[in-house]
Amino acid sequence: MESSIQHVRSGKAIKVKTDRSLSEKVFVVFIYAFSGAFALACFLPFWLVFINSFAKESAIKVHGYQLIPKEFSLNAYQYVLHGKQIASSYLVSTTVTVVGTVLAVLITAMYAYVLAHPKVKYRNVLSFLTYFTMIFGAGLVGFYILIANWLHLKDSLWALILPYMLNPFFAFIMVSFFRTLPYEINEAATVDGANDLRIFFRIILPISKPVIATVGLFYALQYWNDFFLALLFIDNYKLHPLQMMIRQLISNINMSAYVGGSQTTYTQPLPTYGVQLATVCLTIGPIIFLYPFIQRFFVKGITIGALKG
Amino acid sequence: MSMIREIAKNKYLYALALPGLLFLIVFAYVPMAGHLIAFKQYRLADGIWGSKWVGFDNFKFFFMSSDWYKVTFNTIFLNGLFIVCGLGLALLLAIFLNEIRSMLFKKIAQSFVFMPYFISWLVVSMMVFAFLNTTEGILNRTLIANGLDGQNWYLKPGIWPAILTIIYVWKFAGYYSIIFLAAITGISGDYYESARIDGATRFQQIVHITIPLIRNVLIVLALLGIGRIFYGDFGMIYGIVGDTAPLYPTTDVIDTYSYRALRQLGDFSKSSAVIMYQSVMGLVTIMIFNAIARKIDKDSSLF
Repeated sequence: MESSIQHVRSGKAIKVKTDRSLSEKVFVVFIYAFSGAFALACFLPFWLVFINSFAKESAIKVHGYQLIPKEFSLNAYQYVLHGKQIASSYLVSTTVTVVGTVLAVLITAMYAYVLAHPKVKYRNVLSFLTYFTMIFGAGLVGFYILIANWLHLKDSLWALILPYMLNPFFAFIMVSFFRTLPYEINEAATVDGANDLRIFFRIILPISKPVIATVGLFYALQYWNDFFLALLFIDNYKLHPLQMMIRQLISNINMSAYVGGSQTTYTQPLPTYGVQLATVCLTIGPIIFLYPFIQRFFVKGITIGALKG
Repeated sequence: MSMIREIAKNKYLYALALPGLLFLIVFAYVPMAGHLIAFKQYRLADGIWGSKWVGFDNFKFFFMSSDWYKVTFNTIFLNGLFIVCGLGLALLLAIFLNEIRSMLFKKIAQSFVFMPYFISWLVVSMMVFAFLNTTEGILNRTLIANGLDGQNWYLKPGIWPAILTIIYVWKFAGYYSIIFLAAITGISGDYYESARIDGATRFQQIVHITIPLIRNVLIVLALLGIGRIFYGDFGMIYGIVGDTAPLYPTTDVIDTYSYRALRQLGDFSKSSAVIMYQSVMGLVTIMIFNAIARKIDKDSSLF
């Protein structure tokens, strides 16, 4: 297999002596057609949302969503960006994602390190306690009462941050990474008089950058895309994250007051579809923008997980 | 005593684990007390401990109605469709992508199929709406342009298992295909080399080398799915279907059902009984399938 790739790279692919039969050729064409069609189907909805967010509202109303709109307009973006809601939702989503990811990665890494440490006698007990939460959940009601009635976190950003701070699955990805580190590092540092805290923060964390980046991205994505917690615990629209803003726009009640802030009045009619699409674009914008970087780390992380776990 | 000595000896290590452990206790174990509500008539003023015990009344209420059968069936049926179609298509995609020799084509295709994994269910819901809505939706516009009648898709529960499966495959095939691709890349080139010398076609190589050698990955992923077959994807179903009541007959899963019981009806006890049923069934399922997996193949069991 390797040799044929070499040939492609050197531009001599066709010259390689192959006695491809007709059925072999049909098979290759089919493979390209299938993969290409599936890839296009995956991409198409993104294109439609993107390009129609620049379409004139009347064009959508008359022609429906178009591959290339008949008339363009920046109306929807002007409308969304003038309003108060997008700014506050962006601030909420960004705060929750940044604070949540930093705390979650730190706590998960510390915890996973102990689970992977051969010196810790009770590591199997800790592992079981962690694993058990994956197969027997507390359920919605207990969780809801805990956050709302016991911790009194309703309409607080902490309700969006705290519940996701230790994901057992991500913890086990980190455990399997820490297990691959040679124990000699640890012994050498102990001989030099470093205690376990120092070893972890000064030696282990810096050499664990790949897995930290991967798990960090997993957490960041979870925080950015979540709407479940906001749905349960956030009633104050000023604390709505972006995902809740989208949901609010779908349900469509009092859209103009919601997007603009109650005092704002607009002379033009509201571009309903445009506002929805523009908000979606602004929400997935950071993900698409960082996509090449995100994709690289995810593929690496999933590959580690698939081979080790 | 020995426990205290162990903790004292490795105090820094246990200190590192403390925040995580505290988190698990507070956010995963304490809320398990919520299962008690299933046996009580919960009133906010009385709290979990003060509310009246009612035995199995809440369960009786749930099992006597036709709801329990409907939501259980929907949950298992939809998850089953997702596992079979999702993994099947991902496997196909991974094998095909692996056969593609044009690096540029492969790279672009891979970037595209992985993209849907990164967006939220509400964004997906907006895209679905763009396709299916009655007046401006692409599907209806296309149908009408070809002389057919447009449909009100949000009033037709019958086709929604298919729609949801397509959405699931669209969102996750790329993700799973990367896991499969990682496993395929791990296969030694020697196998293919000797197969080629023996005159095996590409198709034969796939059937006799690639698929048998990544069988374990497929089994593990399927088991992970089956182990959670009693848990509906709340974000997906509620994000896309939301409160569209006409679609409940085929799309309402245990998770959305208990959510509505809690948030819209405010019936903590009923919701709690449903959730306890789900947790217990989930635990039993994972035990059974893990035992089966261990019987078939020791390496494939999860624990």
